[in-house]
Amino acid sequence: MTSQKVDKHMRFMMLMIPKGYEKATAGSMPDAKVVAEMMKYNKSLQQAGVLLALDGLHPPAMGARIRFSGGKPKVTDGPFSEAKEVIGGYWIIQVRSKEEAIEWACRSPLSEDCVIEIRQVQEMADFPPDVQQAAAGFAELQAGRPA
Amino acid sequence: MRFMMITKEFEQPNSDTMPDAKGAATMMKYLESLEKAGVLLAFDGLRSAGMGARVSFSAAGQPLVTDGPFSETKEVVGGYWMIQVSSKEEAIAWAKRCPAFPNFAIEIRQVVEFADFPADVQEAAAIYPKLKAQCQSRSRT
Repeated sequence: MTSQKVDKHMRFMMLMIPKGYEKATAGSMPDAKVVAEMMKYNKSLQQAGVLLALDGLHPPAMGARIRFSGGKPKVTDGPFSEAKEVIGGYWIIQVRSKEEAIEWACRSPLSEDCVIEIRQVQEMADFPPDVQQAAAGFAELQAGRPA
Repeated sequence: MRFMMITKEFEQPNSDTMPDAKGAATMMKYLESLEKAGVLLAFDGLRSAGMGARVSFSAAGQPLVTDGPFSETKEVVGGYWMIQVSSKEEAIAWAKRCPAFPNFAIEIRQVVEFADFPADVQEAAAIYPKLKAQCQSRSRT
C-alpha cells in the first residue's frame, strides 16, 4: 500500500508477559528445558538478521516502583500488589512491517502461560518538527552508545 | 548491575501519544544527565498501544493475535531506559530524579545476567553470551 516504505525497516519491541510472574519470588529461575527452547528461537532471530537486543528481567520482588505525587517521588519496593501483569523479558527486532513482527512473535515457543505485546519503537523521524528540535540531542545520544 | 527503568502510563488515550516539545526537552535533559554520569546503556520510546498487537498462545502453542489497545490492563508501557549502576539503591536514586510527568510510574527491574543462572540453565543458554555480543555490535540505527 505505501510502496515507498517497502525497504524501510521499523523497530519493534516484543514484551514477554509471563502469567503470574508478578508474584514470582526473588531469585526465581526459569526451567532449563524452557530456556533451551527459547535460545533456539533467539538464535533464529539472530540468524534472520532481525535481532537488535534481548534481555530477561528478574521478578518484581527484586525491583521497585516510583510514582510521583505533587512532583515528589514515592518509592515502593517490589512485589507490586496492584500489578496484574509484568514483563519477564523483551526482544527488539528490526523488520519491514508490523505484520512481520507479529509473525516473529507467533513463532516464539510459548504457550498459554505467556503473552507477547508488540509495540513499535519511536524513531526520531516519527516526531513532529517541534519535538525533533526539542529532542535535537536524541540522535547523538543514541549514536554515542558504547559498543 | 543492569536495571531496566520501564515507564508505565495510566489511562493512555487510544491515539498515538507523541511527546510534546517541552516534555521531550525535559526528558532529554534527564537522559543527558544519565549519559554524563556514565550510566546510560540504552533507551527508547514506544508508539501507542493502539498501534500495537498482542499474541497469546493456546495450550498447544497455537498463536492468537489481538490488535491494540489492550483492555486487560490500565497500565501501558511508554518506554524504557537501561542503566548500569552498583546497586538497586543507586537505580532508585536515579529514578527519583526523573522528571515527574503526570499519570506515570517508573518500574525498576533488575536485568538478568548469564552469571545469575544456575549451572543447568547456563548449559541450556550456552549461546546467550554470544547472542548478546552480536546484538551490541549491531548498533542501533
